[in-house]
Amino acid sequence: MAAQRLGMVIDTDACIACSSCAMACKIENNLPEQNWWNRILTVGGDNQGTPSGTYPDLAMSTITLACQHCENPACTRVCPVGATFKREEDGVVIQDYAKCIGCRMCIAACPYTGVRSFNWEEPHYTVPFAGDADIPAHQKHTVEKCNFCAHRLARGESPACIEVCPARARFFGDLEDPESEPSKLIVKRKHMQLLPEQGTRPSVYYLV
Amino acid sequence: MNNKNTTAPTPSAARSRSQLIAIVVAAAIALAGIGLWVFQGSDGFVNTNMRNLDSWGIYIISFMWFVGLSAGGLIISSAPRVFGIAGFGGISKVAVWVSICCTVLAVSFVLVDLGGPLRVWHLFAYANMTSPLMWDIIVLTAYLIISVVYLWASLRVEAGKGSSKALRVLSAIALICAVLVHTVTAWIFGLLQAHELWYTALLGPWFVSSALVSGLALVLLVVIALRKTGYLVLEQENITKMIKLLGVFTAIDLYFFACDLLTAGFPGAAGAHTVGLLTQGPLAPFFWTEVVGGVFALCVAFLPRLRTTPLMVLAAALSVLGILCKRIQLLVGGFQVPNIDYPTVATGPALTDAGAGFAAMNPQLVYMPAPLEIGIVVGVLGLGAVLLLVGLRILPLKPKAENH
Repeated sequence: MAAQRLGMVIDTDACIACSSCAMACKIENNLPEQNWWNRILTVGGDNQGTPSGTYPDLAMSTITLACQHCENPACTRVCPVGATFKREEDGVVIQDYAKCIGCRMCIAACPYTGVRSFNWEEPHYTVPFAGDADIPAHQKHTVEKCNFCAHRLARGESPACIEVCPARARFFGDLEDPESEPSKLIVKRKHMQLLPEQGTRPSVYYLV
Repeated sequence: MNNKNTTAPTPSAARSRSQLIAIVVAAAIALAGIGLWVFQGSDGFVNTNMRNLDSWGIYIISFMWFVGLSAGGLIISSAPRVFGIAGFGGISKVAVWVSICCTVLAVSFVLVDLGGPLRVWHLFAYANMTSPLMWDIIVLTAYLIISVVYLWASLRVEAGKGSSKALRVLSAIALICAVLVHTVTAWIFGLLQAHELWYTALLGPWFVSSALVSGLALVLLVVIALRKTGYLVLEQENITKMIKLLGVFTAIDLYFFACDLLTAGFPGAAGAHTVGLLTQGPLAPFFWTEVVGGVFALCVAFLPRLRTTPLMVLAAALSVLGILCKRIQLLVGGFQVPNIDYPTVATGPALTDAGAGFAAMNPQLVYMPAPLEIGIVVGVLGLGAVLLLVGLRILPLKPKAENH
């Protein structure tokens, strides 16, 4: 089988900014307090949830931001110990907590502000354990980020954020396969990518 | 006991005792620093002011600064020997020792910045050769080893053992390695396209010129201080030669700065914002300290009337400080502008405390060191003082009849 390039398409027109995807990610991956792999960003005014413009000419939309699983990642190249790497078979960018030495070179290299987060202290949780049984334990002083729910992919499932979206704004699949749902959407709809000028070729597309 | 103990101590005995006290004090500071470092490791980096938006801070600033400071000693010692020209009055060995101390400190600053210092062995076990950080670790290690070997060989040749030809070859290798180490350190930043302020081909050469400025200025400060304490005798002409050289290096460094600012600002696009950040934004105090200090050093270097010892000391001190300011601008400025241009990327509740900190300080600096970070930096400096003083005490570093 040819190598896949797993990717995501997010329909910003359909997104209602409900934060379900961010919450599902948080719970599925049992993210420590103050750690979010997927965030909801307002495109509009100066603050979260505020529109641009003056009434009645207002505009506001939402970008959900997580690791872009770039085809040409800036982070994997600079990691001195190979703790972050792109999987050959499906293009998913993985972080290996056991290898990470906590130098934070990948955070400096990643152009997508804040998608990589460092555990600045011993991970602690409001609820003792709420995540999936197959996730690796979070570690103090290591970097982590979205891994497209690698543990779910291994079971043949989609990432948690895809399944919970009540607006059906998130699509996941192989971008190399022209018959996959995301591939067809990219062909059909107007879309954009974040920071294309950085040359990273993200595997996340936003329908606009 | 003999009579000497009952009479007033001789000047050299008094000097020796005050030196010993200084070593003990510095060692105490270093130990306190190690204590703070252990605390940082156990209680967490949460005690620093680094967060996901500004994931490096004063440790990496100090790392860049000390890699640069290490340049002076090795270059003023090896360059004259390589090119067969007159040196600077026998201060070569002291200068190389200063260089070695600075390199050890630079490595220490990387170590205190690591989240998992117990995992440093991963660097050897899982080395990823595409990482500029890996390149720097290799070159820095080579640089440290070569500096030590070079000092050892110099001492042997002076004692009449070993060949001076081999020493000359060694000094050439040391010189190349010194240029490499600054360039590769620059690449840790300069090869990351993600930060406007870092991503420039000029960064490599520029790190070399900044290293020469701060390194030579540091050697100048150390030899003037040692001359004052009577540790060594040095003709004023050698000091004059060094300050002139410092002037040349400063001119090159400021010239690079001007080229970079013009290239960044001229199109009036994203780079112009960065230029504004430096010249009139939150980083302006650091920018102007560097520029004004540099211009002052140029005046002292090239106007014979101003070449008095106090003014030269001031010029050298401002040069060392100026390069620290440069490093602060580079590091903090690099993190200051988030790439994703939506307001919530920096202020949203989804980030760690950095989000809140950034919002509260906006439009000020994205990063200021926490007391713990300053404490650890002071501790590392204490370690440097121990190394420097112990070296001066037990190694035969005083000038002899040779002329480098």
